[in-house]
Amino acid sequence: MTAITLSPRARKRIVARGLDALTWLVLALMLAPVFWLVASSLQNDGQLARGSYDLLHPTFQAFRDMWKTIDFERYLINSAIICTVAALLATAFASTAGYALARFRFRGAKPFGLAVIGTQLIPGSMFLLPVFIGFLWLKQHVGITLFDTRLGMILVYTAFFTPVAIYFMRSFFQAIPRDLEEAAQVDGCTQFSAFVRIILPSAAPGLVATFVYAFLFAWDELLFVAALTEHNAETLPLGIRLFIGNYSQYYGQLMAAGVISTIPVVVAFFAAQRWLVRGITAGAVKG
Amino acid sequence: MSTPTLQPEVRAEVTTTNRPPRPPSPRRRKRPNRLPYALIAPALVVMVLIHVLPAIGGLVLSFKKFNIFTFRELFGAPWNGLENYRSILLDTDNPLHSGFWGAVVNTVQYTFWTVSGTLVLGLAVALLLNRKMRGQRVARTLMLVPWIVPSYVVAVLWSFMWQSDVGIINKVLVDYTHLLGHRPIWLLGPNTMWAIVIPSIWRGMPLAILIFLAGLAAQPQELHEAAAIDGAGPWRRFRFITLPLLRPLIGVQLLFGVIYAAYQYAIPTVMFGSNPGPDADLMMTFIVRQSFSNSLYGLGAAASTMLMLAMLAWVAVWYRAFRRDLEVT
Repeated sequence: MTAITLSPRARKRIVARGLDALTWLVLALMLAPVFWLVASSLQNDGQLARGSYDLLHPTFQAFRDMWKTIDFERYLINSAIICTVAALLATAFASTAGYALARFRFRGAKPFGLAVIGTQLIPGSMFLLPVFIGFLWLKQHVGITLFDTRLGMILVYTAFFTPVAIYFMRSFFQAIPRDLEEAAQVDGCTQFSAFVRIILPSAAPGLVATFVYAFLFAWDELLFVAALTEHNAETLPLGIRLFIGNYSQYYGQLMAAGVISTIPVVVAFFAAQRWLVRGITAGAVKG
Repeated sequence: MSTPTLQPEVRAEVTTTNRPPRPPSPRRRKRPNRLPYALIAPALVVMVLIHVLPAIGGLVLSFKKFNIFTFRELFGAPWNGLENYRSILLDTDNPLHSGFWGAVVNTVQYTFWTVSGTLVLGLAVALLLNRKMRGQRVARTLMLVPWIVPSYVVAVLWSFMWQSDVGIINKVLVDYTHLLGHRPIWLLGPNTMWAIVIPSIWRGMPLAILIFLAGLAAQPQELHEAAAIDGAGPWRRFRFITLPLLRPLIGVQLLFGVIYAAYQYAIPTVMFGSNPGPDADLMMTFIVRQSFSNSLYGLGAAASTMLMLAMLAWVAVWYRAFRRDLEVT
């Protein structure tokens, strides 16, 4: 009844407020599982098994227990080292290759660019076993141990995330005006020193964004680390999987392990959020 | 050619064939630049070592009788022709035969629901967030959080939430809101597909929202205003302005979304173990299980090759549909 008598302006305002409320409701729904992860990690296992929560009296008991139940520290340290080094290397390789694709016209540039995308088409299951065999071969014939070592996983992850990183870096380099290098070359820089001294520093946000992007993906990888390690180089996803296999009723501890596994990537993401968002959207908008 | 102004050029071309070429302009004289090759070399080396060579190796293995008995011989294992492919696709005596087709169907379903759900809901939320409102920046930033949660944590968290008796989802659906009269079982039987699709959409949506928001921000506002003045309502403006302008972004997300979903492994395997059961077994979980748990390496390689061929076919279809949206880069 009242809706009919409302002026168009008032009706418009009601619709606007309604859509605002809907936006916040959607946000709440999207964040609810994350809230539930954190809330559950702060309860004890008995409460979780009964489904009775006491949100007002959080306890860190699950975190303490979890640390004792599995060798969580080992997984965490391995993940931190492997993902950091691999993301650094991928960013370094991608910065030079991305620069070449952004600035130079050279024979083979197009096939190389296509090959970079093409790598994303290979299912992991297809080259996992040959990589494993390659590791065995290297050990037998050259004496380099890559199986179950951090070095092996770093090598694999560097290769994995270099292709995406190349496209990331390329879009950042394309946004840098060409005059910058030309000015540097007029001042006597070689092409390469212009790249190192002038272009790389001004692409610093892009480097950070690429590093974080590669880091997020490396942190998430499960298939290869499951096949190419057995103890020494195992990372967080394997720790979590072991946990589910053996202590699946300890949901509080499991959620605590989930929280700890998520904190580093959340910190990395929000530290680089502004540049990361620019990198992702630039890459997508430009194709 | 009859015009006198062209004459000198024609003559110049004729003369160069007899004489040594005149000194090229300083720009041309440069030796072929080696720098770009040096710049791509490190990336090229790791890609060849870890992508190209092993992928070729995988292709070779798919034609070999490679299993637990021949594993010691590695690439020296006996050739098997197309037998691996034939037995997976056609051999009803092969226990993998039905498992393979089951995994194919599940993967198609999973990919369809995940990608369409992510894009449709992602676009809807992006439209909401594109409106001017108080706290817009905070809302946009917080909306990205699910994307950062690692897949294995997503799987653990949702398998906890899906629990039939004490899980929060059934508590909300049945006990708190009474939307359902009975407690559905999510982690067993047909519902297992939804148990992996819904978390996948949840995790994928933030990225879609981010990309759509960038696309919406780039749309010329005048177009919408002009259409509004001409009397086009919100739906018509969305249908005939917003959506066509977003087409390239939808294309890019479709391309990579389908590939990413078809290669999904972490969520089903962490949620259900190495065998997610007949309703949630995807291609990747199937292949990895046959290759590593059951040591049927050759069959696994053949199935991987077919999965990749399917994705190549998808890229070809996609290219036909979205070719005109590709920007020349």
